[in-house]
Amino acid sequence: MQVLALIAGVALLTSLAGSFILKRQVNARTRELWQINQEMEQRIIERTAQLEEARMKAESADRLKSAFLATMSHELRTPLNSIIGFTGILLQKLGGPLNEEQAKQLGMVYNSARHLLDLINDVLDISKIEAGQLNVISEPFDLRESIERVMKSSQPLADKKGIEFSSTVAPEIGAITGDRRRVEQILLNLISNAIKFTEQGYVRLQGEVRGDDIVIDVKDTGIGIRQEDMGLLFTAFQQIESGITRKYDGTGLGLSICKKLSHLLGGEIRVESEWGKGSTFSLILKKEG
Amino acid sequence: MKENILVIEDNEQNLYLVKFILEKNGYQVHVATDGQAGIEAANQLKPDLILLDIQLPVMDGYAVAQNLRANPSTAKIPIVAVTSHAMVGDRDKALSSGCNGYIEKPINPETFMSEVELHLIKK
Repeated sequence: MQVLALIAGVALLTSLAGSFILKRQVNARTRELWQINQEMEQRIIERTAQLEEARMKAESADRLKSAFLATMSHELRTPLNSIIGFTGILLQKLGGPLNEEQAKQLGMVYNSARHLLDLINDVLDISKIEAGQLNVISEPFDLRESIERVMKSSQPLADKKGIEFSSTVAPEIGAITGDRRRVEQILLNLISNAIKFTEQGYVRLQGEVRGDDIVIDVKDTGIGIRQEDMGLLFTAFQQIESGITRKYDGTGLGLSICKKLSHLLGGEIRVESEWGKGSTFSLILKKEG
Repeated sequence: MKENILVIEDNEQNLYLVKFILEKNGYQVHVATDGQAGIEAANQLKPDLILLDIQLPVMDGYAVAQNLRANPSTAKIPIVAVTSHAMVGDRDKALSSGCNGYIEKPINPETFMSEVELHLIKK
């Protein structure tokens, strides 16, 4: 009996000592953790400040880039004026007669210069949009007339490819409020894309009113777009590979600009496409701009 | 009688280009290569139309247009801005300075004359 009590006493003492040591250990660990926590907080504060600084640097670099692009685009137009102007008047034979070969080669210079101008204009547009400097105006204009205008100026492109090119516009489509030039720019882009990627069949424009929206569809029977490429479609400087080589000319900026412009106009661009069958690009505008 | 057109432009090649097109189309062309000289020429010649570049030495195109509009003897001469400024508000700025029209550079050789003649009061 006494022996048992002695053993129990020793066990009790041992556990008391054990818990005392444990408590000290816990306290020490708590202090350590608290210290680590403080250090972490300090590092988070420092890191946040660094990130903020990096963000501000990036934003200011972005603004510089946009300003640079805008200036460059402007400077590039002056010599282009000379190239396009002089080849143009030579082709009009204002400078005297041309033989067939000369006319052909000058035509190539002229087309390349126009292409370069398109590139410069697109870069200028993108940089203005990204710098938040592109303001769309809001004034009444006749959408029907705009559609007629872009159809007329795109007709030669369609004739060249020998494809059917037509439009049907619902009678309710008439005067709207918005930016005429930018709406026409989007439509011209969608139509010239459709023609560019269509070898046979048709490109048809259809304008109609659906609820509060005006929907202008540009439907083609062209090469179409693969489902996996849809995401790249509106990314700047991306032209989806259509084969082994890059077959189609273009800046790869057109759709990116169209999408951004449509947002500035309070609308959007939608696309439906089936690979090998054709695509439909739709410009959606608010009836009450 | 040939209509007189005053071209105010400082870039040598652009000046040659515009002068050449206008002369080939039967106009009498006068030139000035800076803003101040342009105003003097306009007062002296009283041309039927002025083609005005915006980025000019001495005095820019906006100031030239304002000056010509403020002077009764040149106030009625049509002014068409020809400029490679393609920035936001350039067109509005040119029109509010007193220009009647605005042609963007690079000019389109196929439509340039019709754009100019739109503003020309034929004799």
